[in-house]
Amino acid sequence: MATKSRYPTGVRPLLAEETARRRRMESRFVDALTGAGFSEVVLPIIDYVEPYAALVEPATAKQSYRFVDREGDLIAIRSDFTPMLARALAPSIAPEELPLRLFYRGDVIRVEASRLGANRELFQIGAEIVGDDSIETDVAMLRLAADLVRAPRDEPAAEPTIVYNDVSIAAALIAQAGAVREALAAKRMTAGVPAALQTIVAKLISGEATLSDVAPFAPEAAARLSAIEEALAGDAVFTLHLDDIEDSSYYTGLRFRVYAGSARTKVAQGGRYDNLYERFGQRAAAIGFTFTIDDLD
Amino acid sequence: MRIAIPKGRLQERALGVLADAGYDIPSETDLKTRKLVFDRGGIEWIFVKDGDVPVYVEHGAADAGIAGLDQILEHECTAYQPVEFPFGHCRMMLIAAPGAPPLTKVATKYPRITRQFLDQRGVHAEIVPLSGSVELAAVLNLTSHVVDLVETGETVRIHKLEMQEVVAEISPRLIVGKNFYRTEPKMVRELIAKIEEAARVAS
Repeated sequence: MATKSRYPTGVRPLLAEETARRRRMESRFVDALTGAGFSEVVLPIIDYVEPYAALVEPATAKQSYRFVDREGDLIAIRSDFTPMLARALAPSIAPEELPLRLFYRGDVIRVEASRLGANRELFQIGAEIVGDDSIETDVAMLRLAADLVRAPRDEPAAEPTIVYNDVSIAAALIAQAGAVREALAAKRMTAGVPAALQTIVAKLISGEATLSDVAPFAPEAAARLSAIEEALAGDAVFTLHLDDIEDSSYYTGLRFRVYAGSARTKVAQGGRYDNLYERFGQRAAAIGFTFTIDDLD
Repeated sequence: MRIAIPKGRLQERALGVLADAGYDIPSETDLKTRKLVFDRGGIEWIFVKDGDVPVYVEHGAADAGIAGLDQILEHECTAYQPVEFPFGHCRMMLIAAPGAPPLTKVATKYPRITRQFLDQRGVHAEIVPLSGSVELAAVLNLTSHVVDLVETGETVRIHKLEMQEVVAEISPRLIVGKNFYRTEPKMVRELIAKIEEAARVAS
């Protein structure tokens, strides 16, 4: 009786009107991505946990619904498309076919472990370019993400804010001293940060750090970001944010987040994960992003 | 910009440091009314229960706030904590009656922090969540142990209990929502710089 009139936390049906809106939004995305040369792939709604075990951090792993199937294998409901796509593609990638431009759409289910968030079913559309590690592709994906926010709206263009960074900068500093992680995560200097790194960490925390400040620690990342910044110059929606070190999980380089509207809702996120395919047996650079459509409504 | 102020234990000192930082905070007369939202100097100040500050900031309903580490940890709040304040420091302690049996049942207002503490020690114990006067649980043998904040230790002494172990060192922090931090860097820098300076002077 108690469950007759309600749904599990975080899921609900969309009735006719909402579904129509969702589908309109979806078809604009699909048109835009198809127009940009991306082909669709479909990924399964459940998959084994084991192939991803080494890849995801325990905290992230807890975000998926898991159960044991009839054969006794541990299964998870899809909670992140990106590693699934890598696992699906890696065995069959032919070098001469690269780069691949692919997109996917569907639901993911996240069980937020935190008391602050509920379990949520999210409808996502994502795009990825596999086998191209160029800076031009970084720039193209950033621009495409911006265009997708602008395009699917009836109203006059909603300008997004896209904040980007390179996760290898923080990774290089953390490799030198673990205490840097805590300081960067809290945005506050802590006693454990060694003297040699205090200046750069303080600058990152206070937001004063420039690319030339980080160059001695992460020369490659600084050079790439500098080239990206130059290519994007003149487009006010893009902001370089060097101190942003969040969830580096499988990301290896460029990392960005897309915010839309005055409410500063995060509608998409993405980045470069050049080592992910290798984990599934085939080296290939890759960059992608995922939009969560509910957040864009 | 919307800033969440915790009602209760930290309120007065939180407002004090914000006033020192040069912010036009709601006056005492304002606070005597039952209003919970005040517009002052282009900032919207909201007054919420201390444990709700991390919730407002995490979800972006407030851009920043002042919250104790106890509430930040208990809510697994992922907001940045750029300033640690010099006031309101206390300890979260494991407390028990003298000669208490081994830990099997523990009462607390902080079930999540307590669970982590127990897990780290490999202790298997039942957690009894309470919402106040937690020491009483140990006095009346509801549980053998309690986990609670200890500021002066007076409550613990009055009830003839003893402190067994430090669970966490607690201090209030300025917390800033991640989305706000990333999308309004100028406003955030100014806020942090002003409050950091006021906190430094106060210490």
